[in-house]
Amino acid sequence: MTTVGTEAIAGFFDDDLAPLVRRMADRPRGEGGGSDEDSREMRAMVWQGLAGLGALDTAEPVRLAELLGSALYQGPLLDTLTARELAWDVDLGQAPVALAVAAEPWSVTNETISARRTFVGFAAEVDHFVVGGVDSAGPRLALVRAGQPSITLRRYEETSRGEAYEVEFADATVAAWAGSATAWAAALAHARVRQAAYLVGLAQAALDHAVAYAKTRRQFGQPIGKFQGLAFRLSELSMHIDATRMLVHDRDAAEHAAAGLAAASDLARTVTTRTMQIHGAAGMLADNDAQLYYRRAAVESVRLGTPSQLRRETYVAQE
Amino acid sequence: MMPAFTPEQDGFREELCKLLCEDDVRGEIARSRRMPYGQESGLLDVHRRLGKLGRLAINWPERYGGADATIVEKAIVTEEMIRHGVPENVHSLGIDIVGMAIHLFGTQEQRERYLPGLARGEITANVLFSEPGVGSDLASLTTRAEPDGDGWRLSGRKIYNMKAQHSEFALCAARTSTGPVNFFGITLFLVPLQSMGVVIEPVWNLSEERFDLVTLDGIRVGPEDVLGEVDDGWQVLGKVLPLERTGLDHSAKAERTLAALRAHAPPGCEQRLVELETRVRAARLLAWRCVANLHDGRPDEVHSATAKWYTSETAKEVSVAAVELLGPQALLDARDPEAIADGVFDAALREAPGLTLAQGSSEIMLFFVATSKLGLPS
Ligand SMILES: Cc1cc2nc3c(=O)[nH]c(=O)nc-3n(C[C@H](O)[C@H](O)[C@H](O)COP(=O)(O)OP(=O)(O)OC[C@H]3O[C@@H](n4cnc5c(N)ncnc54)[C@H](O)[C@@H]3O)c2cc1C
Repeated sequence: MTTVGTEAIAGFFDDDLAPLVRRMADRPRGEGGGSDEDSREMRAMVWQGLAGLGALDTAEPVRLAELLGSALYQGPLLDTLTARELAWDVDLGQAPVALAVAAEPWSVTNETISARRTFVGFAAEVDHFVVGGVDSAGPRLALVRAGQPSITLRRYEETSRGEAYEVEFADATVAAWAGSATAWAAALAHARVRQAAYLVGLAQAALDHAVAYAKTRRQFGQPIGKFQGLAFRLSELSMHIDATRMLVHDRDAAEHAAAGLAAASDLARTVTTRTMQIHGAAGMLADNDAQLYYRRAAVESVRLGTPSQLRRETYVAQE
Repeated sequence: MMPAFTPEQDGFREELCKLLCEDDVRGEIARSRRMPYGQESGLLDVHRRLGKLGRLAINWPERYGGADATIVEKAIVTEEMIRHGVPENVHSLGIDIVGMAIHLFGTQEQRERYLPGLARGEITANVLFSEPGVGSDLASLTTRAEPDGDGWRLSGRKIYNMKAQHSEFALCAARTSTGPVNFFGITLFLVPLQSMGVVIEPVWNLSEERFDLVTLDGIRVGPEDVLGEVDDGWQVLGKVLPLERTGLDHSAKAERTLAALRAHAPPGCEQRLVELETRVRAARLLAWRCVANLHDGRPDEVHSATAKWYTSETAKEVSVAAVELLGPQALLDARDPEAIADGVFDAALREAPGLTLAQGSSEIMLFFVATSKLGLPS
């Protein structure tokens, strides 16, 4: 696989595909709409497309992550990139992987693991899980092939209506063991930088959506964007996004990964909440992307730790 | 300022809490929050029960189903219903807005016709103001009332209203005449909803309660359906909306979410929790100041705008903070078997954006305070 930049992938999310990608993991509620089957097919197709464009071996993973956020991409790509950073004895090929790592106890034999992991993304459509846990030997990671009868999945009913699962591994067979605690720490730092970049992309897309609306929605005989109360708020958000983007693309980003992710997390919730406000009641409608950004930001902003956990971790590490 | 509650008022609150904590009431509330997607409750047994006791519209005269109590008792009812999780839109639309408007500005006949049913929790009403192109600038509304004999025929589209599907009738703003000043020429009508000439369609949104698109297709209304004066509906709107804007509903919502947050927050959140608690306490004080103003017969629009802005922004902040502090756990829907606190956080998060928009958006409140309180040029 050749190593490519992100332009081709940016081109992939063109005007026709982008609206479908944004909703490819949004299960409609009372309002009808496409089936789960359609969404899953769509995600499989997008996976093929991205893998074909070299996304799994990109030289610019942070740019890629930002691009995925701005497209509101939903799928196992970010988890897969993290899994691929760890050294495994098996070849992952182009298979999608989900992370099921927690600093929680598990029971382990030489060949099997038993653990319950929460909020695992896209568990129903990956080929492998990276399961992490802690036992007397310390923290370890296991690669577990999906589809074993010893693995049960339950999809959550949650705000984003996306693909988050509780996964129960009951003596699931381990395909490979990986890395040390330090290898995981390094991979996690990179994962956090990419997650932060994803959130920056998401925030930018939400802001673009709000700006476009502020230019067209008229009240009191003028576009609402002409009211300085709104215009200044939009510029402020734009500047915050700019600042956070500098953090995530900085050479030292991985060193400050936890603090950077906490900042991006706050940014994403703030921008999407304001995007809702700018839209008025129209932003709440099921077919309006404003509420989609808002719900996705809630989920994505706490995927790899809450801001207070991340900040505490940063502070303790600095001591 | 917090009114000094009398021992009777304290006793009343206690008695109310007891009722709201009864198993069957709690069960009904929990079920109403766990209905299949796309369905929502209208008036519940708890509304009818409180209605029968004269509690729902407790500040209305007895002959209209109330108990001749003051606005303070009414506020206690509102506050406790929300603190206990009773879905309140159906109540606030029917009693606090439409019922209140009829109570204050209706004819004798209109009061007798509508108030007892509302007060007993047997019927409800909704509000048809907003239109696809008309939100904050309500005075530019375009729904037309064309003369027809001694009455009118209404035509236009009303959106973003709620509970039309459960309502007997609506308070509808329509244009009876046009002129250079768009505040003039608006008339308020009491319109039967479940009838020919009215089409109600669901408009799905992110919250638990749908919006309705109500198309008025030539429905006829008579002079007996006009609330207030013809062409002078703006006057009524200007008086009713601020009355309803005490912020008490939002401060009670914030209290409810915060109580659950306290119960579930992991260690490390203490300072943020205290910050939120202080905000919520201030929100409640601002709301009760408005109630006290009304009680003294001195409504104050700056106080109302301040309370609306502060309480709704606070309720929104608490909802978003729950995600920040609790992480993914906070996102579980009431329908998920592992949801914590009955899914209150997810529901609050999806409701939050609407709080700072409905009943006068935050920006409109800020504008009002800038020009009216601070005297800045507009
Ligand atoms: C939960 C909910 C329930 C509702 N229930 C009802 C109901 O029962 N009946 C009904 O008729 N309507 C209802 N509405 C509609 C509500 O009245 C409108 O949302 C409100 O009037 C704002 O209008 P809009 O949403 O069209 O926003 P817009 O007026 O289009 O405003 C868009 C954004 O611009 C801002 N803005 C507007 N003007 C200015 C200005 N001059 N300066 C600065 N900023 C400005 C607004 O604050 C907002 O942030 C409901 C809305 C919600 C969210």
